Amino acid sequence: MSESKTQTDTLSGESRNGSKKPQTSHHPKTDGMRDDKGYYGIPPIKASHWAWQIYLYFWVGGIGVGAHLASVMGQLFGWKDLAFFRVCRYTTVVAMVISPIMLIWDLGRPERFLNMLRIVKLRSPMSTGSWALSAFGSLAGAVATKQAADDGLIRLLPGGEPLTKLAKLIPERLISVAALPIGLYVGAYTGILLIATSVPLWARNWLLMGPLFLSSAVSTGLSWVSFVLHLGNWGETRTLHALRKAERVVLVIEAVLLAASLIRTGRWARPLFSRRLGPLFVGGTIVGGIILPFLLLFGKETRNKGLLSGGLVLVGGYILRYVMVRGGRDSANDPDEYFSFTKKDRTEVREAEKIEGEEL
Amino acid sequence: MATGFLTDTTVCIGCKACEVACKQWNQLPHDGYELTGDSYDNTKQLSGSTWRHVAFIEKPKDENRYRKLSGDVDLVALAEGVKDQLPGGAEIDGLGRWTFMSDVCKHCVEAPCQQACPTGAIIRNEFDNVYIQPDVCNGCGYCVPACPYGVITSIPEDGRAFKCTLCYDRQVDGLEPACAKACPTNSIMFGEVEELEKIAEERVQQLHDRGYPNAFLYGTPEVGGTGGIGGNHSKFILMDEPETYNLPEAPLLPQATVGKATLASAVTAVALGAVVAWAFGSGE
Repeated sequence: MSESKTQTDTLSGESRNGSKKPQTSHHPKTDGMRDDKGYYGIPPIKASHWAWQIYLYFWVGGIGVGAHLASVMGQLFGWKDLAFFRVCRYTTVVAMVISPIMLIWDLGRPERFLNMLRIVKLRSPMSTGSWALSAFGSLAGAVATKQAADDGLIRLLPGGEPLTKLAKLIPERLISVAALPIGLYVGAYTGILLIATSVPLWARNWLLMGPLFLSSAVSTGLSWVSFVLHLGNWGETRTLHALRKAERVVLVIEAVLLAASLIRTGRWARPLFSRRLGPLFVGGTIVGGIILPFLLLFGKETRNKGLLSGGLVLVGGYILRYVMVRGGRDSANDPDEYFSFTKKDRTEVREAEKIEGEEL
Repeated sequence: MATGFLTDTTVCIGCKACEVACKQWNQLPHDGYELTGDSYDNTKQLSGSTWRHVAFIEKPKDENRYRKLSGDVDLVALAEGVKDQLPGGAEIDGLGRWTFMSDVCKHCVEAPCQQACPTGAIIRNEFDNVYIQPDVCNGCGYCVPACPYGVITSIPEDGRAFKCTLCYDRQVDGLEPACAKACPTNSIMFGEVEELEKIAEERVQQLHDRGYPNAFLYGTPEVGGTGGIGGNHSKFILMDEPETYNLPEAPLLPQATVGKATLASAVTAVALGAVVAWAFGSGE
């Protein structure tokens, strides 16, 4: 109780009992320095422990999914740009290697990670997501193996010749297409994972959190691919052009989903606009991650502009995930947020929500 | 047969015997020796290492009047029945009630923690209690934010999640849970859920008849069980609004929205796929 050691009675303007000695209150409600909500301000629900591994996973996993979507579409429409396919496929496989490492790292008992694949539970996004990630990761691995064989990378390994021959048998076109729906679920389930909790900031936005995370996965994935192509001066001009076209529309979809999410979340979106997270969220995601790169995607197409817009979308996408997860912690830790969320009759709250929704 | 608790807060004396009995029987580690200054509550909340928690609620008769208290209450004067002014201008009359409530896992009928658990570690056992199998839990921590009551919690040193087992090991041997056994006022009752519901109804009626119209049963589908949780197997008789005891009025089942959320994501996936297809297919 560090604050009570130094406080004076702010209600009467002088120390309690007229003495100069610092006083502690017998009851927090008489203590002018404390404004406890609910039961001594103790959170009625527990926040999740998720830290940097999880933000990083949400971000890297999304990039892998977006890159996969781009490569499948390029493949379906007969694109022949080798550099583009290389970047997409290697990105996806690296992302799908980093993702499970991050997730296993985050477990309290990492050695038991295989217990995730003990059962299938359709109502638990953590369960379906683990399965989807395992399946998508394996398929992405197969596609990347074929790519590595084509690129002559497998030949460098000991016993490379027969391995290359074997790897070239992989039907990578078929596998890529089959992996696409699973991959898109990997991009979306991270959002659904958040809404299936008691945290008001997440649970309130149940309809749009998955779509929002998926659109951000695709925007960051496309941006990553175009960023790398620009950086290495690789890829055909028409590939870069197609990526740019897609990015523009995807950013608009993302912006609409984000705006709708904020309106839907209403008063419970407050933690996103706190003093700590607000500047990051508004500056990093809304302005820096969506509006600025969107503007940069118009006009003359230059390398610098491509690098800048790609980089901004990537940073904005990371901040979106960081702010959503950290904001959820703040949301869970504030009794006001949860108790207003679980009121049986929320009519008054709904009125307030309308007003705040307009402000947002 | 479903077993559960009925915790009658109106007869709780705040002795914390349940907390101690629970810790002893289940061999739970201590939570440190912090003094919170929040009444006599130095435990604060349920956690992975605290499966019973006694809340100390000092409920002023009149919030505004209470705020005007300018000094600590002289408890000796109070006990001796001094009717005059208390030191510092405090008034005896302004004190209101001092309430205790022994909190515990609610053992929800549709348990959100169980639905969240990806490993199947959380099950319903033969007594229809929500039970974590410690040899299966891999510490993903997803049950923690899923719980609408803030009960289930990870112990960082151990990595896994823990909560009240309703003394499964004792029930198997035909014993009642340690907390119920230790409770000196029978505030904590253990038994079959249906039987406890009958006892609760009678008790609430009795309280109403004695002039306490605020008394109600928390944990039935009517109160504290909407949104698909379907009620709790450990219920409470409360005298105030649930928030006073740090309980939500009408918690929601978090998983109820998963199906529709997945559908919405599928629609978005098709739209995003179409956009990328258009960009790559429209050529030039």
